[in-house]
Amino acid sequence: MTTLASRTATPTETGGATRRRGSLTHPDRTALLLVAPAVIFVVVFVLIPLVFAVVISLTNWPLIGTVEFVGLDNYAAIPSDATFVKSVLYTLLYTAIVTGPILVLGYAMAVLVRAPRRGSTLLRTVLFLPFVVGLSTISFMTVLEAQPDSGAVNLLLEAVGITDGSTAWLVDGALATGLICVLVIWGVSGLTMVLLMSGMHAIPDEVYESAELDGAGWWQRERNVTIPMLRKTIAMAVIISVIGSLLAFTQFYILTKGGPGTDTMTVVNYIYNRAFVQLQLGAAGALSVVLVAVVGLVTATQFWLLRDRD
Amino acid sequence: MAVSVEMRRDTRVKHLLYLIGGGGAVVVFLVPLAWAMLRSVQPNSVIVATPDPSTFFDFTLENFRAIADGPGNVIRSVYNSLVVSLGTAALTTLLATLAGYGFARFGFRQGPFLFALVVVSMMVPFQAILTPLYLELNAMRLTDSLLGLVLFNTTVNLPFGVFVMRNAFSAVPGELEDSAHVDGAGTLRIIGSVLRPLITPGAATVALYAFLASWTEFLGALTFLTRDELYTLPVSLVNLQSGSYGAINFGYLVAGSVIAMVPCIVLYVALQRYYVSGIAVGAVKG
Repeated sequence: MTTLASRTATPTETGGATRRRGSLTHPDRTALLLVAPAVIFVVVFVLIPLVFAVVISLTNWPLIGTVEFVGLDNYAAIPSDATFVKSVLYTLLYTAIVTGPILVLGYAMAVLVRAPRRGSTLLRTVLFLPFVVGLSTISFMTVLEAQPDSGAVNLLLEAVGITDGSTAWLVDGALATGLICVLVIWGVSGLTMVLLMSGMHAIPDEVYESAELDGAGWWQRERNVTIPMLRKTIAMAVIISVIGSLLAFTQFYILTKGGPGTDTMTVVNYIYNRAFVQLQLGAAGALSVVLVAVVGLVTATQFWLLRDRD
Repeated sequence: MAVSVEMRRDTRVKHLLYLIGGGGAVVVFLVPLAWAMLRSVQPNSVIVATPDPSTFFDFTLENFRAIADGPGNVIRSVYNSLVVSLGTAALTTLLATLAGYGFARFGFRQGPFLFALVVVSMMVPFQAILTPLYLELNAMRLTDSLLGLVLFNTTVNLPFGVFVMRNAFSAVPGELEDSAHVDGAGTLRIIGSVLRPLITPGAATVALYAFLASWTEFLGALTFLTRDELYTLPVSLVNLQSGSYGAINFGYLVAGSVIAMVPCIVLYVALQRYYVSGIAVGAVKG
């Protein structure tokens, strides 16, 4: 009785008019139930591992035996880990080599196929195929073509007179790197092409028509209209490609396993070895945390550099 | 409209450049894949020999027959890859559809935060959290399990999927749902019957991405699976390659690669309009 009385007595306090009321057709509870499975997946398989990585990195975490807290020892050991430092430099070098060509080739391919011409749809399909087939499969196919005397790489280079056909591509660090770079540029430029092409299609025709009326030639239109208007799309394509390169693993693991020695060891390959070959999970955890931070930093920096300067 | 404008504009020089560029591109991008198919019907002895016109064209299905019979458990791994890829495609599409509907249509207080959470997780590279993920899956008894790999692949593909499905639902006019609500239809029925035809392209995009990504996924499968009867195709090819079953046979390796390649090409060519639209969504809105 008293509760009812006090409730009715203070209608302004509940503030029914200002407080947001749940929708009848779209109640909050239903919304939470709908998004819950996806959110739980993200929490369980991304956020918890992320936090867990930090925890592991502060321990010695052996596969068997007791876990020992070691503070920042694993991090302190990173600068003196010569192989890791080498893998970082190697990964940066690899990223530096492939990023430009992927962008330029992807852009050229997008220019080639962006307008509806006879066969342009088919051409788009063909240029994108290597990306669809995937790095793992095209790497396996490359293994046999990289063999001396019998592989297609040597046959081709011998035919144009560059080598005598007996080059063993995968047992030399520099040669293997060159081969893998060419393979990756060939394999992933299609993604950049599709990204840039969809951006180009979003540019209204009128912009080009007025540029043409002003007497702008092809290259001027490209430089003064397309590229400025594509800034954000280009930024996105470069970020995707740089992150992919920093996290490179598959093609190296399949073609060289990081060898000869550690000459083609990428960061992810090295962390994989530390964790799952040498079973030093604590050390691998510390390296993982560093990698997450570096990738996050690179993403943030690139967004900042390529931000809208309005 | 744009078609005719562009076609009229082409000068003879431009047309010639297009033909040369297009022709060159087809050679560069298609010939290597066709070459791999040609290699797959050559016996190992021909593949490792300096090409000799008298034997080079002695095609045989020996490689396919041989890997079907044993080395590398290739047939078994094709089955495993199918289970993992179909499972991932189904689960990702289901979860992304539910969440996409929730985020697109419900103005709930926690919505923006939870959506940001899902999108930010897209920026955490799974390659970098592999160690803790392995320990976690191991504790849940989900390593050495195809289900575990499905859950892993679903997580990797989910943020993109939620993104695509949210956009798909946002593009549907609200009146459709309102009348369904009046008719007393529940939330799942509204998604499943009223909205389904309108969101099918988005769902097809998500499913196709998840399938193709899982079919070629390598690092996760390599890490989480250790028993060879569970290997997916790429992992079983690594074993074939590293000669775990005796000396390396390039014929088997390339035949296995062709088996891995063909479903990707067929699916992509059949469904490419979804694929390309999906990438555009990711690029423009991402």
